[in-house]
This record gives sequence, structure tokens and C-alpha cells, in this order.
Amino acid sequence: MRVLVVDPDPARAALVVEGLSGVHPLEVRQAAVFDEQEAAGFEPDVVVVAADSPDRDTLESLQDASVSNPRPVVMFVDRSEPGLAEAAVRAGVAAYIVDGLAPGRVRAILEVAMSRFHLMHQLRQDLEKAKADLASRKTVERAKALLMKERGLEEEQAYKLLRKLSMDTGRPLGAVAADLLAFAGVLKGDQA
Amino acid sequence: MSGAGEFKLGFVPLNDAAPLIVAKERGFFAAEGLDVQLSREVSWATVRDKVAAGALDGAHMLAPITLAATLGAGGEAQPMIAPMALNRSGAAFTLSRRLTAAMEPGESRQAGLARLIAARRAQGEPPLGFAVVFTYSMHNYLLRYWLAQAGIDPDRDVRITVVPPSRVAGKLAAGELDGFCAGEPWNAVAEDEGLGEVAFRAFDIWRDGPEKVFGVTAEWAQRHPQALQSLLRALLKAGAWADDAENRTQLAQLLARPEYVDASPASIARSLSTTTFHRGEANAPLPVQAGWLLSQMMRWGQAPREIDVAAVAAQVYRLDLYNQAAADLGWPSASAPDAADGFADGRAFRLDAAQAYAASFALGRLAHA
Repeated sequence: MRVLVVDPDPARAALVVEGLSGVHPLEVRQAAVFDEQEAAGFEPDVVVVAADSPDRDTLESLQDASVSNPRPVVMFVDRSEPGLAEAAVRAGVAAYIVDGLAPGRVRAILEVAMSRFHLMHQLRQDLEKAKADLASRKTVERAKALLMKERGLEEEQAYKLLRKLSMDTGRPLGAVAADLLAFAGVLKGDQA
Repeated sequence: MSGAGEFKLGFVPLNDAAPLIVAKERGFFAAEGLDVQLSREVSWATVRDKVAAGALDGAHMLAPITLAATLGAGGEAQPMIAPMALNRSGAAFTLSRRLTAAMEPGESRQAGLARLIAARRAQGEPPLGFAVVFTYSMHNYLLRYWLAQAGIDPDRDVRITVVPPSRVAGKLAAGELDGFCAGEPWNAVAEDEGLGEVAFRAFDIWRDGPEKVFGVTAEWAQRHPQALQSLLRALLKAGAWADDAENRTQLAQLLARPEYVDASPASIARSLSTTTFHRGEANAPLPVQAGWLLSQMMRWGQAPREIDVAAVAAQVYRLDLYNQAAADLGWPSASAPDAADGFADGRAFRLDAAQAYAASFALGRLAHA
């Protein structure tokens, strides 16, 4: 069985391809953009497409163009499995199959794609959080240095002052530190 | 979805998503106590699926999607409704400069195209390729109508493909397309980049023809009757704001932002003049308009000819829900005419004679059946 993965996000597509190669002895190809000529050459049995690829509308139109396209595709919806289509939509995956293919085989592919989309989403969220944490830590360091310089405090005292501000206002330490830096900038005339 | 008054609505980057964007940015949603999150979508299939699966509460939609989804054409059947129209007109067909340059002075675009197609066929060249934005779209039916009027069979004499609006200009420039029918601002963008020339606009085919609608599933509407009315009131007020000539410059700048249409403000401003968001009861979802769309779906083999057109039109185009919102705003209620005119060919469409109308065209899949 040949599977074509169309995804504008190459890293995510690679993850799906990698996941599929472990599950089935399949021929898998990935493309950022759906190309009808290229697809006609590959003759995929299943096309897994990311919902955030604008190519979905093109793929969908092929089921009507039976004259010019000898291999019509249909959207895969397994009626015997309620909720599967909804789960796929929420994961951002759609699958198109060549008419007549056994639904059971497609389901396995769709599930791999869905789990890999979730995994990628999780990885990106973790990365964002790590970046935000790092930025927050740097802000706190800068605010501490500012207090030490302007108020003549020791590092420990500066930190305690920030923590007290954070607890008094009920806001995260990073936010309090960022405010302090911003106000200091205004007072020094950095910003209008 | 998450909390009372919190909703997620989808839109596709086009000028006629304006009512949703304006309602959000100018506070019309907030004034109704609604917390609306807008979700920019890149394909109509995804808009349809997300609304059907409940990942979106409602969306800016091509009018025929609500009909196709209800009939189960091109996918799983999922009854949808159009409780209001977002706009009239705004679509256009752009021909590449290569084609318009090959036409004779004084020759109509239709006659010129028919002549060029015949010449290509005589020389054994491949057919011209035109794009529409979705299979079930006013754009597809407008282009087919216009081509057929010129004696050009849209299924045999040319090749019609589906290409997302964001790619049409690039494909026109690369010579992969010879023309496209899409919503604004993409025709204006292609013209401003010197790639093509508008051959006809939606209102040249049907003076007061419909365009996008606000679409939700029938089930969602049933579960959220009050929220739906609040959304409709906000969108209606936003449409009136968008239609006001005094607000057009501001509107163009708002739409041009990267999170919305993300196109040149000049192209958007120029093309906004072809779209009506409010005047002349532009927001009333008239069943006769749905009936005409169904007649074209039957004509081109997209819908079975035995459907009860008037019943499906009334089931999907919920004028009663629009009138309820209009009454709350103190606006006059719209009545449902059973016939429509203003077509380029001078014919009238009657809701109770949709099948006969669909089969009466010289070119179409019914005439050959």
C-alpha cells in the first residue's frame, strides 16, 4: 500500500512518515504541497493531509473529476466507528483513499498520523514553555541586578523584595520583574 | 464551547469575512456579551469539517457548502443551516494577460475565449485551465454559467480545477492557470500585479446574487437558540458598519492585517466596492437563492435531480431566524419571494420550477442525460 503524506510542516510530516514505517511495510512519501502530476506518478492508495494544508480543497475536488482523474479519492469516514472523524478533525488530520480500499487498513494509518500530530503539538508546546521559562528567569536576574544597583541591596535581599512584590500582588515573579524593568525604563526616559 | 458566551468562529482570508472580523474588532460581539475567538482557516473543506465536528461553533462559509453538507454531497451528510447571508457579490473571474492580449479589440471576452478555445483545439493543444476555489461554490457555478453562455462546455472544452485563493496569482504568473474565479481581494491582487484582467464580476451574471453565508449545523442552532440570535445581531450590526462608505478605509486597513486577509490594503480597498454587506436586505438568506444554487448543482451533476428543491432551500436558508434578529434590531423583516430575476440571460428562476430550469440549459449534465 502506498501512502502520501501532504503537510506544509515538514518536521511533522517526517514524524508521521517515521511512525508509519514502524507499523506497516508500506511505501510512504511526503510532500509539502499536493501536486497532481506527482501524485499520479506515485499512485497513492491513501493520502493523509494536514488540515492546515490549503491543498485539501484540491484533493477533495478530485472525486468529482472522474473524467480527467482515473484514480478518484474519497474522504475516509468509517461509519462503524462513531467519533473517529471528529477525533481526526480535532487532531488536524484528514485522509483520502482510493475508492474500495478496506477501511480497517486506513484506520491504522489515520491513528498513527493522529498520534504523531498530537506528539508534535506537545513537543512544540513544551518548547514554547521552556523558552518562556528561560525568558522569565533572565528577566528576574535583570530585575534583581537593577534593585542591587539602585537600592544598594544584596542579591538575597533583592530576590526577597521581588518575591514579596509577587506575593502581595498575586502575580508571577517573572511578570513582577518585567514590570519593574519597564517602569525603571520609563523613569530613566527610555520610553515615552 | 468552553464557557457560556464563549464561541469559536472560522473564516477564510477574504474581503467578505469582514462581518466576523468587524464584529470582533469593533466590539459588536462584546456588546452582545459574547467572547468570540476567530480562527483563520486555509481550506473550505476544513471549515466544513470543523463546523460539522463541533471544533468550530460556526463559520464564514461558501453558501453551497451548507446545501452540499445537508445533502451529503462530497462527504458525510451533516444538516447545516444559513441563518444569515454575509454579503452579495464580490467574486470575479480573472483571465491571464496572455489570453486577453490574444483577443481582438472590440471582441467580447466570451466571444474571444470561445474563438481561442476553438483555435487551440484545431491545433491539438491541451485545453485551457481555469481554477475555482471549491467544488461547491458560487464561483464554480458562475464560471460554468458564463462559459456555457458562450457555448463553451466547462467539463469538455476547458479544464476546471480547484486551487486555494492564496495560490491562484502564483499559478497564473507561472502559466499553470489561464484564469480563475475567486473572491476578492484576489482578483484585485492579480490585476495590481499585472498578471490578469477581470473578465466578469458576480453581479454581471446575477445582479443581486448571493455570496457567503454564516453557517452552523442545524444541531448547534437547536442547542444554542439564544447565542445564535446574539451572534446574528452582532454580525448584522457589523455588516451595516462595513457597508458604510465612511468606514471603508478603516475596514481595508483592518482586513489587510496579517492575522486576517494579509494582502495589500490598496488592493483590498479597491475591491471592497464590488461587495455589498448590508444594503438592500443583503443579509436576508432568501430560500429562492438557495434554490438557484441547488438548480446549478443539479445542472452540473452535483445533486440528484429528484430532490425537493423548495423544501431543502427552506430547511437550510432560515429566513425566520434572520427575521427574528432583524426585528430585535428594529429592522424591517424580509419576505421570501418565490422567484428571482436580474440574470444576464434575462430569464427568471422560480423556486417551484427548479428542476425544469436546471434541465433547460443547452449545456449541462441534465440536458445530455
